[in-house]
Amino acid sequence: MATRERVKPEAGNLVEKSWDPITRIVGNLGIYTKIDFAAKEVATCKSTSSMFRGYSVFMKGKDPRDSHFITSRICGICGDNHAVCSVYAQNMAYGVKTPPLGEWIVNLGEAAEYMFDHTIFQDNLVFVDFCEQMVRDTNPSVMEKAEKAESPHAGIHGYATIADMMRALNPFVGEIYQEALVVSRITREMICLMEGRHVHPSTVYPGGVGTVATPQLFTDYLTRLMRCMDFIKKAVAMNDDIFDFFYEAMPGYEEVGRRRILLGCWGSFQDPDVIDYDYRNMDEWGRAMFVTPGIIVDGELVTTSLVDINVNMRILLGSSYYEDWANEETFVKQDPLGNPIDQRHPWNQTTLPKPQKRDLDGGNYSWVMSPRWLDQRTGDHLALDTGGGALARLWTTALANIVDTPYVKSTGHSVKITLPKSPNMPQHDLEWVIPQWSNAIERNRARIYFVAYAAAMALWFVDKGLEEVRAGRTKTFEPFTVPDNAIGVGFHEAVRGVLSHHLVIRDGKIANYHPYPPTPWNGSSTDSYGTPGPYEDAVMGTPIFEENGPDDFRGIDIMRAVRSFDPCLPCGVHMYTGKGRTVHQQHSPMFGANNGGG
Amino acid sequence: MLKTGKPDVSPDALAHTPGIMQGNKPGNYEKQAGHKPDGRSTAERSTGVNADTHEPIDPSMPNLSPA
Repeated sequence: MATRERVKPEAGNLVEKSWDPITRIVGNLGIYTKIDFAAKEVATCKSTSSMFRGYSVFMKGKDPRDSHFITSRICGICGDNHAVCSVYAQNMAYGVKTPPLGEWIVNLGEAAEYMFDHTIFQDNLVFVDFCEQMVRDTNPSVMEKAEKAESPHAGIHGYATIADMMRALNPFVGEIYQEALVVSRITREMICLMEGRHVHPSTVYPGGVGTVATPQLFTDYLTRLMRCMDFIKKAVAMNDDIFDFFYEAMPGYEEVGRRRILLGCWGSFQDPDVIDYDYRNMDEWGRAMFVTPGIIVDGELVTTSLVDINVNMRILLGSSYYEDWANEETFVKQDPLGNPIDQRHPWNQTTLPKPQKRDLDGGNYSWVMSPRWLDQRTGDHLALDTGGGALARLWTTALANIVDTPYVKSTGHSVKITLPKSPNMPQHDLEWVIPQWSNAIERNRARIYFVAYAAAMALWFVDKGLEEVRAGRTKTFEPFTVPDNAIGVGFHEAVRGVLSHHLVIRDGKIANYHPYPPTPWNGSSTDSYGTPGPYEDAVMGTPIFEENGPDDFRGIDIMRAVRSFDPCLPCGVHMYTGKGRTVHQQHSPMFGANNGGG
Repeated sequence: MLKTGKPDVSPDALAHTPGIMQGNKPGNYEKQAGHKPDGRSTAERSTGVNADTHEPIDPSMPNLSPA
């Protein structure tokens, strides 16, 4: 391991600052920036991942019926999203449809996952950046303001001032921090009820679920859901107060982590009345999902068609450590509707890893490729982000104006969420309104609103599930056979954003399998057209509000920008930075090559 | 000491031994008591013992499946 020379100012006032790995996220994400301390702005940024997973390589030749069990292991926190997405892809390939009761059970499991994961990330990880200890360290003047600032929603959450709330967010000792841990346990129990196990479900299969759907199953789930309801109502009010305070206390804070509004959402929660898992009807059942899929460019909803989303996906090599597959096999020339499928589409991708030294100056520097969406109107390869998942989901659902359920309704400019009376709180009518910006604060705010969205949806899913059981329609799975040759695709939302699994079966075995989770989109490297990935884009130009100088710089504004995307690059930690200076640099991009160091 | 007969199957025999019924075998679901041809199920499904006596005592009561 080489010791890196001290950071030296470059031309002008640029100072190199790097964080590798970024903590309190899943995985080994490195952010390498150059900061102009005189202008108080980040000048350049590169995001790198030093870990290669290789699922697309070792899935080949396996029995496709194993794919949801294997791909679930991609992630240690949202593995059930992968399992479910893989099941959707397999259902399409096998031509099997899950019975309605099975579909409601999967929706309930996934709703609990959103509640669990968003809560633990928001309150136990993101809010460390907004807690009293951190703010006192990085922005003492803001803490002084917080002591005097009254909380607009004190009547709901009980914290008189913003500073009181910030103290409750302090890690390990804060009241909210501890309460969130309890809620994350209860919500995980809810997932286990529906999907057998968290985080790698044992009862989710192609064709349905193995969960025994008794009335007690649903009441066990419902009692847990209602236990979380008080917390969620308080949490939404607290989040609004804290984030509004940040805008107020630091004018211009909306620029932190702000980027062009380029959002993608692949939809979540299937409607069993509509879905048949037939690719040819994918637009119809995609739009019927209870989180509407779509792509937003500059605030305009460009499409809600899953076929359109699928056909225009492009995987560019970007600045990643892979060889091109232009001359490799083309597995799928056209989709079942006759649309041509590009060689750079996940169905046709062949992963050819080429480990090499990291070169941040115009060379290759990451294991993450550059997934892009080709906008046919302009010919641009758009670097979509997911807004940490929740922002894109709420935004597309709001604009699409399709979702209309008893507790959640889309209005065309907002999403209305009703949380009924719970043990200690009256009914709350919440409304998430489309924000002005796609920035760090709004990504974080959307997260807690989506917890409310998932909880409200879950209430209705429980009703629908019980309706099936009471009518005697208790079948939870359909038998299926594996065809010799087939293709399939699953579109779903992992907690932190878009998730797709592309599958090609030949001779009854997997010929090609490509999962595209949210972080390859968000954390992608600069692509072949020179377009930076979303993290890079969001951090570049971010103003620095931190009051510390270059010597004791914490990079809090950059961290808030990056963490707002809910980064997840499983998984490894092997470098260390201190006092803003990179102490160690590891040239080998291979995780495990020199493990234990750092 | 209890006297037991000779086991028909060796304890380390494979689960997929010919002649052993598998729960997931096609057709197995349909032929169990309380499973109607249209995919619905009734209270009769609650047990394998005297299944047909487990229907509701009053016909106006809902015929609830245990699962």
